[in-house]
Amino acid sequence: MHEMGIASSILEAVRKELLLYPQYRAAKVQVRIGEFAGVDQNSLQFCFDAIVKDSPFAPLELGIEMSSGDELDLSFIEMDDGKKETEKEIEAATLV
Amino acid sequence: MTKIPVEQKVLSENARVADGLRSKLQTSGTLSLNFIGSPGAGKTAFLERTLRMLSLRTQAAVLTGDLQTENDAKRLARYGYPVRQITTVGACHLDARMVEKHLEGWDLNGLDVLFIENVGNLVCPTSYDLGEDAKVVVLSVAEGEDKPLKYPGIFRKAELMILNKIDLLPYVPFKPELAREYARQIHPEIEIIETSPITGAGFDRWLSWLTTRMETKKASVAQYAEAV
Repeated sequence: MHEMGIASSILEAVRKELLLYPQYRAAKVQVRIGEFAGVDQNSLQFCFDAIVKDSPFAPLELGIEMSSGDELDLSFIEMDDGKKETEKEIEAATLV
Repeated sequence: MTKIPVEQKVLSENARVADGLRSKLQTSGTLSLNFIGSPGAGKTAFLERTLRMLSLRTQAAVLTGDLQTENDAKRLARYGYPVRQITTVGACHLDARMVEKHLEGWDLNGLDVLFIENVGNLVCPTSYDLGEDAKVVVLSVAEGEDKPLKYPGIFRKAELMILNKIDLLPYVPFKPELAREYARQIHPEIEIIETSPITGAGFDRWLSWLTTRMETKKASVAQYAEAV
């Protein structure tokens, strides 16, 4: 069960990216998981939804694309031009 | 909607620390091996026998990971080499930062080999680079032959598979040739050595593998020094 840690790392990457684009809010983050990465897709989705729900990032969708290798990579973030999170809120998001 | 590409590893922070470790271990010429296997596969017993049989000229050190207790470190410390326990307090794997922290204060210069015994688990440790030269997967004959098919990630990433506890073969239905076949289906180049920490069977082959890898590492350091 290391998917909780992985979900936190994904959110941490989103947080860092948002600092570069303060005019946006993140709507979706896409990751690429190799079939040999040792990461369970359903478990990751569950953990991600659980930690996003009560965070300033909500609602934020997790997109998962599967691949054939052993990679565990971030692919892209879809930013919404609409409502913007304040940077303060984002920084206050406590991430392990 | 604006799409921003973020091509990086999800575990990029772990990868950064692991690269730092790798570079330190390259400077000191220390071979680092990350042992991964289920709880009860015999990882600690395997390392105990290894430490007992190591040539006196070899400088070795061990980091051993568990959720709780110092029991494994106590077992491994009996052989006169430096050993440290990493208790993860619940985490199912070691990460590069834990290894970095527990190496603090150890002089890596002159250290030939660092054995890292990961938390007993065939899944999660697979994702975390610890800056090692190679992952070694330990599978015991008290388990199922189809472990390589059920947990392909680690069998694909490991360079060496230790088929452990072969002294039990007369008493269990385990078919070693089937386990080899499954492992090679997942990873055709994987090396396989059958061992028993109780009888010492297979340890001559394992120690010769280890010696070759330590020499290769030392040679790569010499080449690097010449290049610089």
